Amino acid sequence: MTEIEITKGAIALIGYGLAAIGPGVGIGILAGNAVQAMARQPEAAGMVRTTMFLGIAFTEALALIGFVLFFLA
Amino acid sequence: MDVEILAFECETATDVVCTPPFVNELFETPDVFLGINRAMLLMFLAAFIVIALLYFALRKRPVVPTKFGAAVEGLVTLVKDEIATGIIGPQGAKYAPYLISIFLFILVGNLFEITPLINFPITSRMALPAFLALLTWVIFVFAGFREQGFGYLGHIVWPKDVPIALRWLVGIIEFVSIFLVRPFSLAVRLFANLVAGHVMLTLLLVTGYVYIVGFSNATFNGVFGVLWWVLALAIFLFEVVVSILQAYIFTLLSAVYIQTSVHPEH
Repeated sequence: MTEIEITKGAIALIGYGLAAIGPGVGIGILAGNAVQAMARQPEAAGMVRTTMFLGIAFTEALALIGFVLFFLA
Repeated sequence: MDVEILAFECETATDVVCTPPFVNELFETPDVFLGINRAMLLMFLAAFIVIALLYFALRKRPVVPTKFGAAVEGLVTLVKDEIATGIIGPQGAKYAPYLISIFLFILVGNLFEITPLINFPITSRMALPAFLALLTWVIFVFAGFREQGFGYLGHIVWPKDVPIALRWLVGIIEFVSIFLVRPFSLAVRLFANLVAGHVMLTLLLVTGYVYIVGFSNATFNGVFGVLWWVLALAIFLFEVVVSILQAYIFTLLSAVYIQTSVHPEH
């Protein structure tokens, strides 16, 4: 591996790390609030869980795009 | 698998630092025979397993169902009631066969990742998630045009409930996000989750193997290898959850996309 390739890989790694920050915070907030909602209203747990998975799936997409770009770089 | 192949630039005698093979080697599938590779064979196997599962579980339905029949019926009812009619609404029954098929196919394909002796999720090749996402894309676009006519496209590129100065901008954003980002993110989500799990398991298991077999002449390295394998075992359990969840999420999002085409106002 040349030096440029190594540098490119390192920058891609940093980029993936940056891409994971936002979704990480987002999923944390989302799951925390979902737990709170389920604790307050256990009878709505099924609906909350479905909506939570949906929200996680949408939020996670950003991190996954970063992950794919890491391989492409 | 030989240690020489796994770590062929290792100086096992003097140095423990290796240059591992490039990650793309994980993505090469050599032909088994005549242009048919392992991924294709496993795809047929997955389809066969799904068909056999449904056929033998639901062929004849006794009054008191067997345990196997009840389990498969539970899966089918989950998708049919919770996802198809639960999200799409009364029209959802039409789309239930498609949703059940992709759910079971993706589930079996994902679980190949942790099946001993196979250890290869077919959904970690971009072609398969991309094709399934394309199928969902075609279905929700056709559902939109059939339910709303050309008003479907009109609602997207010229939304009536947005102030007129912003309509073109919202229209462009909506158009891109619905017709381009949706199928892409649907495919990439499944693909990236499975690739991440596959790469992680490969790294942990191979590292353990190299530590035990390759460097076991040095002190304590065998112990480290066993520790890597213990970690890999934990990741195996985690991957069970990921496999099931990703199959569920793919089906759920397909249903949500179809729902937004069928009912524009929500």
